[in-house]
Amino acid sequence: MRVNPDMSADVLAAIWNTQSQEDTALQQMSTGKRVNTPSDDPLAAAQMVGNQDQSNRTDQYLQNIDTLTSQLQTADGALSSVVQQLTQAITLGVQGTTGTLSAGNRQQIVQNLQGIQSQLVQLANTSIGGSFLFAGTATTAPPYALDSSSPSGVTYSGNSGTNTVQAADGLTLQTNLPGSQLFQNPGGDVFAAMQQLITSLQTGTATDAGNATNQLRSAFDFITGQRIFYGNAVNQLNSTQTFLQQEQVTLKSQANTLVGADLTKAATDLTRAQTAHDAALAAAAKILPTSLLDYLK
Amino acid sequence: MPGLNTSLSIAVQALQAEQGALSVTANNISNVNTPGYSRQVAILNEAPTFQENTTTFGSGVTLDQFQSVRDQLLQLRLYEETQQQGNSQTQLNSLNQIEGMFSDPAQGVGGALSAFFNSLSQLSTNPTDANARQQVLTAGNNLANSFHQAVSGLGTIQSGLDQSVPQTVDQINRLTTQIAALNGQVAQMQGLGKDPGSTQDQRDELIRQLSALVNVSVTQTEHGLTLTTGNGVPLVVANQSFALQSGTNSSNVQDVFSAQGQDITSQIQGGQLGGTLQIRDQVIPQVFTQLNNLASQFATSFNTQHQAGFDAAGNAGQNFFNPLASPTNAAANFGVAITDPSLIAASSDGSAGSNGNLAPLLAIRDQQLPSGASPMNMYSNLVLQVGNFGANAQADVNASNLSVQQITDQRSAVSGVSLDEETTNMIRYQRAYEAGARVVTTVDSMFDTLMAMGVLT
Repeated sequence: MRVNPDMSADVLAAIWNTQSQEDTALQQMSTGKRVNTPSDDPLAAAQMVGNQDQSNRTDQYLQNIDTLTSQLQTADGALSSVVQQLTQAITLGVQGTTGTLSAGNRQQIVQNLQGIQSQLVQLANTSIGGSFLFAGTATTAPPYALDSSSPSGVTYSGNSGTNTVQAADGLTLQTNLPGSQLFQNPGGDVFAAMQQLITSLQTGTATDAGNATNQLRSAFDFITGQRIFYGNAVNQLNSTQTFLQQEQVTLKSQANTLVGADLTKAATDLTRAQTAHDAALAAAAKILPTSLLDYLK
Repeated sequence: MPGLNTSLSIAVQALQAEQGALSVTANNISNVNTPGYSRQVAILNEAPTFQENTTTFGSGVTLDQFQSVRDQLLQLRLYEETQQQGNSQTQLNSLNQIEGMFSDPAQGVGGALSAFFNSLSQLSTNPTDANARQQVLTAGNNLANSFHQAVSGLGTIQSGLDQSVPQTVDQINRLTTQIAALNGQVAQMQGLGKDPGSTQDQRDELIRQLSALVNVSVTQTEHGLTLTTGNGVPLVVANQSFALQSGTNSSNVQDVFSAQGQDITSQIQGGQLGGTLQIRDQVIPQVFTQLNNLASQFATSFNTQHQAGFDAAGNAGQNFFNPLASPTNAAANFGVAITDPSLIAASSDGSAGSNGNLAPLLAIRDQQLPSGASPMNMYSNLVLQVGNFGANAQADVNASNLSVQQITDQRSAVSGVSLDEETTNMIRYQRAYEAGARVVTTVDSMFDTLMAMGVLT
């Protein structure tokens, strides 16, 4: 039977074939990726778009958590100072209710209390990066100002708005408590109690001062209770952070499954391709030069 | 009874026949590497016999003709597979360029879309932060740029393909002119009962080259071959060729017209030209459509939600992106409509510190757009489609390469020149020539003997 006498085309095709297998294995080993263009595995490439987006989101969530944690801790720190100030104010209030005080002593206490009042206003105006933490959503201006004409001694220019931030997929978290809720709550009104104490020490009776001190106590209890909100939020962020870091690892390993090269397999493929390539070359070297002419003298 | 003279003339015929046969071998050997060459064989026949009384005498050998050895059916299959090969290889080349734009999930429209949503997420932690607001605008502009880059990348590939159409048409016309001339000669020789030999080889090789450019259908007629495009537009009839034309159509791209001026662009399927038109007119427009839908639907739903919010000054939100109600050219026109970061409508209650409108804006990331998929899924569908186009083209290229190789092998098994065979033939002809020559010298010496007899007498 007559066969194709010109084997050079087939030999070349075989050599190119084994060479391209070598290239593929080598590319997988050097890039560490099995899918370098969408056509290498269209489905995996499409899924990688989602994986990449999810991974970007996770990075952003982690960054958000850092920002939020620092905001929440600053707010909680401010409240902790408020609590200290209130402790002091209560002590002063108790002193003020003893009937044996001279007018000068009272005046002294009033002055101390007024100092505390303005301290409290300052704390209620705590800001981070120009954003006032207790102003509701009107965060661009200090929410509290001293105002002797107001029964609470202050005016509140913030609002009662709250913000929520997504800290992870499916987890939204309230990130602020407005000043009106914290410091002027019917369940414990810090500023009204302060102002009442000051007024009663200036013009009222010891009983008035005692009542005002009691109101200050309930304000103290209320604020202490509200701090739990911040503590909880920070705790929740901490555990979310751990979860998200885990998620990052999962996403990376998912990406690796989708498009990563199996290096052991790539190495085996490379060896196999090299062997095949050597064989093709050896066969070419044996076959191509032989001709009947070699045997004729 | 034939005499010495007869033997001498028979021997001389033998010498001539073997010389002729050797020239076939020489021609075969010299064309061993000529593409499309079909080996020739010398057809040797017994010379007419003559009879004397009851004895029939042979009168030697004649070299009737040189005949090319070919299988016309294989040749036709070779044309067919070559069309496939030309088509899929051209598509693959373009698709490799196209999918390059969609290779890195962190880049391109997908990456920019993801980064844009991240910037909104960042802003939600501090809606009054000027840097975070600026970052949203920057990310929006980056998204616009990535749409524009995709559009211009695809456009460059498309116009490159477009420019290649007239060049390919020129190549086709040059080939059909040459084929027509050769076709006429072949038909003439065949009409005279001669083997057209290498003229036919040349014609067939040119038809093979033509097949790589366009789908050709080949019909054998008494005037030679008739070549038409797949849908019957004549390219070559007998010794006449019909030039295709290319020209700009109403949408400013190059269309292909028959010699009679009929627009046959959509009917051309095979070969390089078919592949070029397929990518230019089908694949790239499909990718454009998906990009445009994404751009238009995303911009529209984002704008709607953006207008539901309030900017930093407490005014109702405007359009964030250029309004793109129609998908036509939406990707090219995609852009951020505002330049002042304070116009970002993050607030839901009118106060600057509210982030209430960012949550519904962020939710668009996972919301179904009118297409039925979320923005990111629309993009990943596009990547899937581009990848599938590429993978299919690669599979087609592999398959048609294999087919062409197999048919070339088969064709070569019939028509290819084997040096071993030619060497063997050379020895055969040489030996026969030597023997013939020996007959001449023998007859010569017999004449000598005869002459000597005469001298002696």
